[in-house]
Amino acid sequence: MRLAAALAAVGRGDQAALRQVYDLTAAKLFGICLRICGERASAEDVLQTVYIKVWERAGQFDATRASPITWLATIARNGAIDWRRSVAGRAARDSLPEQAAFAVADEAPRADQSLVAAEEGEQLHRCLDELEARTRACIRSAFFDGSTYAELAEREKVPLGTMKSWIRRGLMRLKDCLGDG
Amino acid sequence: MDDHLTPDQERDALAAELALGLLEGQARADALRQSLSDPAFAALVAAWEAKLAPLHGEWADAEPGAAVWNAIERRLADAPADKVTAIETRLRRWRAGALLSGAVAAALAFVLITRPVPSPVPTSPQLAVARIESDAAGPLVLARYNQTSGLMQLRIHGFEPGALAPELWVIPEGGAPVSLGQIGHAGEAEMTMPPPHRLLMTEGATLAITMEPVSKTPHPAPSSAAVASGKIITI
Repeated sequence: MRLAAALAAVGRGDQAALRQVYDLTAAKLFGICLRICGERASAEDVLQTVYIKVWERAGQFDATRASPITWLATIARNGAIDWRRSVAGRAARDSLPEQAAFAVADEAPRADQSLVAAEEGEQLHRCLDELEARTRACIRSAFFDGSTYAELAEREKVPLGTMKSWIRRGLMRLKDCLGDG
Repeated sequence: MDDHLTPDQERDALAAELALGLLEGQARADALRQSLSDPAFAALVAAWEAKLAPLHGEWADAEPGAAVWNAIERRLADAPADKVTAIETRLRRWRAGALLSGAVAAALAFVLITRPVPSPVPTSPQLAVARIESDAAGPLVLARYNQTSGLMQLRIHGFEPGALAPELWVIPEGGAPVSLGQIGHAGEAEMTMPPPHRLLMTEGATLAITMEPVSKTPHPAPSSAAVASGKIITI
């Protein structure tokens, strides 16, 4: 796969290969940053940092543990969440209009079969479908919006402890359903 | 409602919460600290990231502005210069003595000389030793810390030059990581620790290094797992 080869070259310090990785993945990773950051300027700053991290860490990428796109998407999502949890991120988010997070998070999956293994996706979705609808929506919002326990509790109008308990139980059920393998 | 969770389940739930990003503030800092100092916990976090990975197929694409790539290219070109500036700025900020550079000897360990913090005059200075290292033949750091003068001397070895800079953290037992700032990829450095940081340099605390974006100020929390860590042990 072109992406795997390009990423391996980045790991060897090839800057032209980083451009290739960028061309192949920037739209996807920017989609992640934009969704979680909520506005373009910050999302673009985070995206820059993400590719700098990719440049630095590509040598540590282990193809036996994750697909290239999963590895990249995880770096992007974690980078965007770091920004959201930072002081600047909190201030910026507070000034945004309330967004219809749940509606977006529950949209029909936009399958990206060429990049993410379909089979695993099927199993995860089957297991998510077994959860209570409300718990599933909260877990999805945490993943796609970077929502915190506090934000989810406020939106659902339940005490923080209740939200924590819903999600923890949901995650443990999810784990059982997926199996430990 | 979580009363029935065993300690193992509790740990796994915390790993899931960190992977999903549900935590904030102190809880997030504590969980990040745990993933830095405890490789088994870090593995649980990675396992949750892998479980949730199929969701990455659902993001809607969006086109970034053309300026983003230009900025990345600039940062790659500027990185080495930036790093030197960042270190020097940080050392000034700490009223540091001097930054020395030079080649480093191969055999390295983390050596700290400390004594109990509150006593103004040292009667029996203690020597503390810890190796800050990774599983593999990765980076190693040698340091000497004199609690009387607050002088910390570092020898740094084995970091690959790149866009990220090694950042040194002290993690008090049961506390959150506190950045001591970014250090060079190789060579020697000296810095005078500010008084609040001296209090953290105690037996049982962990010293860890993560790779972080170059920053002129210490980061509030680590953004990734430690590439090397070790406990401060007084002997």
